[in-house]
Amino acid sequence: MSNYNQPNNSGRFGQFGGMYVSETLMPLLIELDEAYTRAKNDKKFQKELKDLFNNYVGRPSPLFHAANISKYLNGPKVYFKRDELNHTGAHKINNCLGQILLAKKMGKTRIIAETGAGQHGVATATVCALFGLECHIYMGSKDIVRQKPNVFRMKLLGANIIPVESGSKSLKDAMNEALRDWIKNVRDTFYIIGSTAGPHPYPKMVRDFQSVIGIEAREQILKREKKLPDFLIACVGGGSNAMGLFYPFLNDKKVSIIGVEAAGKGSKTNETAATMTSGTPGILHGSYSYVLQDPDGQIKEAHSISAGLDYPGVGPEHSHLKKSQRAKYFGITDKEALKAFQLCSKLEGIIPALEPSHALAYLFKAFKNKFKNKIIILNLCGRGDKDLFTAAKEIGFDVDE
Amino acid sequence: MNNLDQLPKKNILALFMTCGFPSLVKSKKVFDTIQKNKPDVIEFGLPFSDPMADGLIIQEANKLALQKGLTTDQSIQLIKSVSKNKGETAYVIMCYINTIMKYGVSNFIKSIKGTVDGLIIVDLPFEEEKEIRKNLEKHNIYLIKLISPMTDSNRAKRLLHNSKGFIYYISSTGITGSNKLNHKEINKNIKMIKKHSYTPVLVGFGVKSKRDVKSLNETTLTNGVIIGSALIQMYFDLKMNFDKYLKSLDKFIRSIQSR
Repeated sequence: MSNYNQPNNSGRFGQFGGMYVSETLMPLLIELDEAYTRAKNDKKFQKELKDLFNNYVGRPSPLFHAANISKYLNGPKVYFKRDELNHTGAHKINNCLGQILLAKKMGKTRIIAETGAGQHGVATATVCALFGLECHIYMGSKDIVRQKPNVFRMKLLGANIIPVESGSKSLKDAMNEALRDWIKNVRDTFYIIGSTAGPHPYPKMVRDFQSVIGIEAREQILKREKKLPDFLIACVGGGSNAMGLFYPFLNDKKVSIIGVEAAGKGSKTNETAATMTSGTPGILHGSYSYVLQDPDGQIKEAHSISAGLDYPGVGPEHSHLKKSQRAKYFGITDKEALKAFQLCSKLEGIIPALEPSHALAYLFKAFKNKFKNKIIILNLCGRGDKDLFTAAKEIGFDVDE
Repeated sequence: MNNLDQLPKKNILALFMTCGFPSLVKSKKVFDTIQKNKPDVIEFGLPFSDPMADGLIIQEANKLALQKGLTTDQSIQLIKSVSKNKGETAYVIMCYINTIMKYGVSNFIKSIKGTVDGLIIVDLPFEEEKEIRKNLEKHNIYLIKLISPMTDSNRAKRLLHNSKGFIYYISSTGITGSNKLNHKEINKNIKMIKKHSYTPVLVGFGVKSKRDVKSLNETTLTNGVIIGSALIQMYFDLKMNFDKYLKSLDKFIRSIQSR
C-alpha cells in the first residue's frame, strides 16, 4: 500500500469518520485504538489469528470460477470469493475472531454486539462460546421474526438475545441499544461492532480484520489469471465485506470497484437502504458519513428485504471512496435481488444470502452481453440458509410444517 | 453578557426539559412553568431520532415531540418565546451533533445567539469540538464540558483548559435517568475536576428527588445539580394528564428550591 493511507490518526477517511460519542466512551475508544495498534504489530497476536482463520474458519476461502454464470452473461469471466463457505456461513467471523482476541488482551469479560441479519450475532456468539465469554446480542424485534434460524443458532451457542422494540426495530435500533449498554457497562464490556461503521477505531479495525478476504483474493487471482481483476463487486450495508475485498486493491488504479447497496422498493422511494445513492453526509453511531436523514437531521428508517443491509448509514471509508471517486455505488431493489437469489441458485448450485444477492443482481443487470473477457471478482459473503423463510414467503412457496 | 457568569457558588439548580414535549403548544406551558420558578439554568433538549446517550424516559419524550413533526426551527422559536430575565436564569441547549451539522454550524449559532448562553453537545467529545468551539466563542456562547467517571485526571486537565459556564459531571457510567448515585465516587471525581478548573461543577444523570439534591449539595463538593428525566417521568406517572402534570411540576420544583 504505497499511496492510500487512510484513516489519519484521528480516524478520518478524507473528511469522513471521526469519533462522535459521549465522554463516557472516549477514554475506552482511545484505549481500544492503542490496544489495536499494539496487536496489529504483535506477531504472536497475528499468528494466533491466522491459526484460527485457517483451522477454525476454514480459510483461505476458495476463489471459484462461476463458469455457468459467465456463460449466461456472455461477457465477463466471473469469479466468486467464497466467504459463504466460512464457518458460520458468512464473512462476519473474520472480524469477530480479531475483536475477541483483542477483548481478551484488554481483560474484558463481557461481550455485547448488535445484529441485523443475525450473521454477526451468530459469529459473535460463536467466538464467545469458543473463548468462554459472556455474550449479549441486541437484535431488532422485526429482525428476530425474519431471521428465526439465526436466533435459534445464537441461543444454542449460549448467547442472551435482547429484543429491541424501539424505532424501526431493526439494525439501527439494535446498535443504539448496544451503545447504551456499553455506556452503562463500559468497565467490563467489549462491544464487537460487526461492520466498518461506528466511531474510530472500529471502521479501520474491522476493515483490517476483513481485509484477509482481499489479500487472499489478490493472491488467488494472480495465480489463476496471472493478472489483476478488472472489476470488484460487493454488497454494502455498513460495508465490512466490501471493504475487506476492496482494501488490498485500492492502489491498483486499473481495478474498477463497485459497491452495491440495497435500494429496497427503489432508491427514489422512502423505503430504501441505499445510503450513498439517496442519503446526505451526517453523523450516526459515532461517525461522519452518508446517512438517510430528513432536512432536520433526524435519521430515517431504512428498508430492505435483506436484514443485513437494512441500515440507514454506511461505513465512513465507503463515503470517502465514493467522494474521491475511487469506487462507484449503485442501488439494487428487493425484487432484483430476489431474482438474482434464484438465478444464482439454479445456475451455480450455490444459494447465496440475500445480501450478496444484491451484488449478483448488479452483475446480471450491468454485465449481460458486455465487457467480454473482463475479469470480475464478486464477494459471495454469505450463504442463503438463513433467508430461506423470507425468500419462500416472497416467492410464494409454503414452508410451514 | 452571559448569564452563566452569574451562577451562585452553591446549590445551583439546572432543570432539563425536552423541547416539543408532549407537544409544541404544551411545551411552551411546560417551559413557562419552569421559568416562573427561576432556576439558575434551564437546559432545552433538542429531540433527536437516535438519542444514544439517553435513557428510556427522554427517548420517549423525543419520540413524542418528533412524531408531531417538531423541527429544529420550531424548537429555537420555542426557546426564544420563553421570556428571559436578564441576569437571572441562564439558557442552555442540550442536543446531538447531527442536529447542528444539518442546520449548519454558523446558521445554528446565529439563530440562537443573544438568547442562549451555553451549548451541551452530548456526542461531541473534546477531540471533535474545535470548529464549533471557535464559532461559539465569537458569539459569547459557552461550550459546556462533560466529564464522566471514565475521564482520568490527565484527560480532564486537557478538556477543562479554559472551560466556561459550568462543568457537567456525569454521575454514573450510565445513560440519563439511570443508576443509583454513588456519593463517594462523585465526590472523589469532583475533587479531581476542581484541581483543574474553577468553573462550577454540576452533577447530572440520576438526580431524581429532593433528597438526592439535598444530599449531593450537602455531602459533596458539587456546586449544584441537574435534574432531567425525573421531570419528564412525572408526566407518564400522571397518566399523561397535562393539567395535573403542570401543577405537579410546579410543586416539585418549588419543593426542591425550598431548603
